[in-house]
Amino acid sequence: MADASWSKHMADVLRRNGIRLFATLPDSIVSQVLEPLWGDSECRVVTVCREEEGLGLLSGAFMAGQRGALLMQNSGLGNCVNTLGSLNVASQIPVVLVMSHRGDLGEFNPAQVPVGQAAERILDALDIRHIVPRSIPDLEAQADGLIKLGYTRSLPVAFILPAELTGGKLG
Amino acid sequence: MSGSVSRATATRRLSERLTNEVVVSNLGQATLDLQRLADRPLNCYTFGAMGQCSSIGLGIALARPDVRVICLDGDGSLLMNLGSLCTIATTAPRNYALVIWDNEVHQTTGGQPTATAVRSSLAGMARGAGVEKALEVRTEGDLCHAYDRIFAEDGPFVVSVKTEKGRAEGTLDRDVVGYTRRFMRALAALPPQLALR
Repeated sequence: MADASWSKHMADVLRRNGIRLFATLPDSIVSQVLEPLWGDSECRVVTVCREEEGLGLLSGAFMAGQRGALLMQNSGLGNCVNTLGSLNVASQIPVVLVMSHRGDLGEFNPAQVPVGQAAERILDALDIRHIVPRSIPDLEAQADGLIKLGYTRSLPVAFILPAELTGGKLG
Repeated sequence: MSGSVSRATATRRLSERLTNEVVVSNLGQATLDLQRLADRPLNCYTFGAMGQCSSIGLGIALARPDVRVICLDGDGSLLMNLGSLCTIATTAPRNYALVIWDNEVHQTTGGQPTATAVRSSLAGMARGAGVEKALEVRTEGDLCHAYDRIFAEDGPFVVSVKTEKGRAEGTLDRDVVGYTRRFMRALAALPPQLALR
């Protein structure tokens, strides 16, 4: 049984690493991470129309001195592939990706499965370091290090949030 | 119907007005013209991510509300990211202007017509998205008037400039990481600007 406080831990991780700008395409799971951030006067959440638009926005903000994270479903990773490669990786502009992992254990919708199963390999193909924390202690043990590595490399990093951590989406 | 303004002239008329503004240019023709005619550290050239020019500029404008940001996009590229017009309207940064070199073709790939060559209006779509200051200009005089407004009034602006067809001269310097770093340093070094009027 997932511990419902996972989303508060995820939000704290982002905030304590200096991330104040969030772009999102709503998803029922990552929206839980944003709940405490919408009301935080230091943070700004921008809802975009397509995930790669969020990458453009966050990349611009990073070049202007502000750290950002993109919160989405892993289907959005599919929409982001070219921009991740030809903007973030090619120009060495870091961004933190936070995505719920649909299409894996417990999935009820066949349409979610192909990109869900491909998600880690897509990130590997672009040399984007990622973690798949399966519990809150696992998340807390790796999260700060992952984000630090991203800004050290000046490249994107990704959190893939599996159903074991979040409870998933019930069909 | 495409316009009578050349992209090079439109780029020069803009560069004459520039002081501490950020200019973000779209991959291909816009970046090539800007690099060749008006290179400066506060130019943010893009070399990939077709469609993202307007969004990159929007992120800069949100993170630095004290600095005016002008994006030079292309019609083919903006058509890939029309949702950006909605996000511009929703966030409504007053320091933001999106200028589109709308020559009604995919110039870089050989001049294949875009939707604006047939019936689609980028200014009309921007208005529909909720951008009140959405203009379409076809002459150098009207373009200069639009620039005057961008530099004097609160945005956001979306300006479709009906430009002549034709490839930019010269070749692009593709030091992608080098130009990105140069831009970041220049913007970080730019002290807080006076409040925009």
